[in-house]
Amino acid sequence: MTVTTTTPTTRRPSPPGRRRPRVSGRNVLGAMLSMPALALFALFAIYPGLRVFYLSLFDYSLTSPPEFVGLDNFTFLAGDPRFHEALLHSLVYTVGTYLPALALALVLAVALSRRMRGAGWVRLLYFLPVATSWVAISVVWRLVLHPDGLLNQTFGLDVDWLTSSAAATWALVIMGIWKETGFFLILYLAGLSRLPGEVYEAAQMDGAGAWQSFWRITFPLLKPITAICSVMGVIRGLQAFSPQVVLTDGAFGTEVVNLFVYKTAFENARMGRASAVAVFMFLVLIAVTMLQLRAFRREDG
Amino acid sequence: MTVRSRLVGWALFLVVAAGGIAFAAVLAYAVVSALKPPGEVLSVPLRWWPSQVDWHNFALPFLETPFARYYTNSVFVGVVVTLLNVLTCTLAGYSFSKFSYPGRNVAFVIVLATLMVPLEVIYVPLYSLVYDLGWVNSFAGLIVPAGTSAFGIFLMRQSIDAVPDELLEAARLDGAGVLVSLGRIVVPLVRGPMAALALFIFMMNWDSHLWPLLVASDDEHRTLPVGLAAMQANNLGAAGVPMMMAAAVLAMAPTVLLFLSLQRRFVEGVAMSAGIR
Repeated sequence: MTVTTTTPTTRRPSPPGRRRPRVSGRNVLGAMLSMPALALFALFAIYPGLRVFYLSLFDYSLTSPPEFVGLDNFTFLAGDPRFHEALLHSLVYTVGTYLPALALALVLAVALSRRMRGAGWVRLLYFLPVATSWVAISVVWRLVLHPDGLLNQTFGLDVDWLTSSAAATWALVIMGIWKETGFFLILYLAGLSRLPGEVYEAAQMDGAGAWQSFWRITFPLLKPITAICSVMGVIRGLQAFSPQVVLTDGAFGTEVVNLFVYKTAFENARMGRASAVAVFMFLVLIAVTMLQLRAFRREDG
Repeated sequence: MTVRSRLVGWALFLVVAAGGIAFAAVLAYAVVSALKPPGEVLSVPLRWWPSQVDWHNFALPFLETPFARYYTNSVFVGVVVTLLNVLTCTLAGYSFSKFSYPGRNVAFVIVLATLMVPLEVIYVPLYSLVYDLGWVNSFAGLIVPAGTSAFGIFLMRQSIDAVPDELLEAARLDGAGVLVSLGRIVVPLVRGPMAALALFIFMMNWDSHLWPLLVASDDEHRTLPVGLAAMQANNLGAAGVPMMMAAAVLAMAPTVLLFLSLQRRFVEGVAMSAGIR
């Protein structure tokens, strides 16, 4: 009784009054701890992120001052066949690589999530390409894709993988699937391990009924993961650069959007036009992310 | 479980295991090709094992190209960028998690928003900025813009959120300052996420190609991806294949070995970077 009646009168006014000045010194210091990171962000992420919109309205070549040209860069791109082709190449590469990689990762995750002797080792084999770097692995795949290389000889093929327009895109797609499946396998396995126990067991069911339990239980439950994976697939697809540079240098129908930006900015010194493409890429990324997240949410509900 | 379903399970596992071996075969092919005499790398029919193991190929990149320089640069830049990220992200995560001040939440949301904007969208103005700073062909241009990461700040804030406020309050009453509390209480409790972040950043940086290609294209500052791509462009013939395979294997070795020894942390890091877990 005494406690409840005395505390309000003695304590209630004091905490706000007494605490604030004493703690705020700490909070000022605490706020300052975020400064190194925020300064780096402001200078190297936010400023260029805003400036890319500004530069997209200018004719600019690094060495000469920017000259305002309004929407000229965008109207030029709208009529530029090379840009249209780059968009198409990126689309084909992204869908061709990431759709199979995601599907394969999902199937592998379900097959490898069961507690079976050896499953850990098999996972490891699929994870290994994720730990390699794109340039190093492109050097390796240059040999794999050689007319007398591993791929042709193993499957008895006679394809000029890297020196024909018919095959180069698919060569990069095959390599991309090999490199990226493990990444999405990691994500799906993480997603599976989060599912509640009974569902997890149902997901691992063998034999008869496995197909139905996959489509009725596992796949719907993994939809949030699939949404994340497909957004990341689109982003990673649009970021593609190293294999296109190392294996074909953009020839034979492999000049993807990112390589087009690079060449426009640094080989043709058209920084403004390159910025306009970057703005376009940014809008595509946002649109695709929104669409995918919404589509998966709606199906969920 | 019925006999039939068990058989189906085993058959599925065998198919998946065979696929895994096929995936790994590409890497094995790189290693054995690095050990072959030049005449055998593209022999028809394919022979897996060389007639004589030629270790000399592993010396060639060092003898005939500035490979050692590229390698040292990559290690140096990778280590500094990793330390810088762990430092800035831990400080920012601690700040966002355990202190209250005006603008804190806005700043955190802006940091998260930058996750949506990949380097590929901003590198033209970023290059122009680094050019104006006079950092082209310098280590500063390679390191400073990569000095923090939105994912790292997010990860460290989440992890430090789990550190009980009571512990920090007790330390404060004992007279511990802001930085002492961070070093004595917070850091020991978030070592796991810090290690996962370090591993993740180092591997990302080791793979980084586009940005180093722009800001460090001279031999003195080239990192491995840029140097390796240049070496490849100079060695397109069959004679250069064993040397290039040796160089590629050496370039992959650190991250593959890191992955093999820290597999669980790596897998956690990848899953966390996608927002799973």
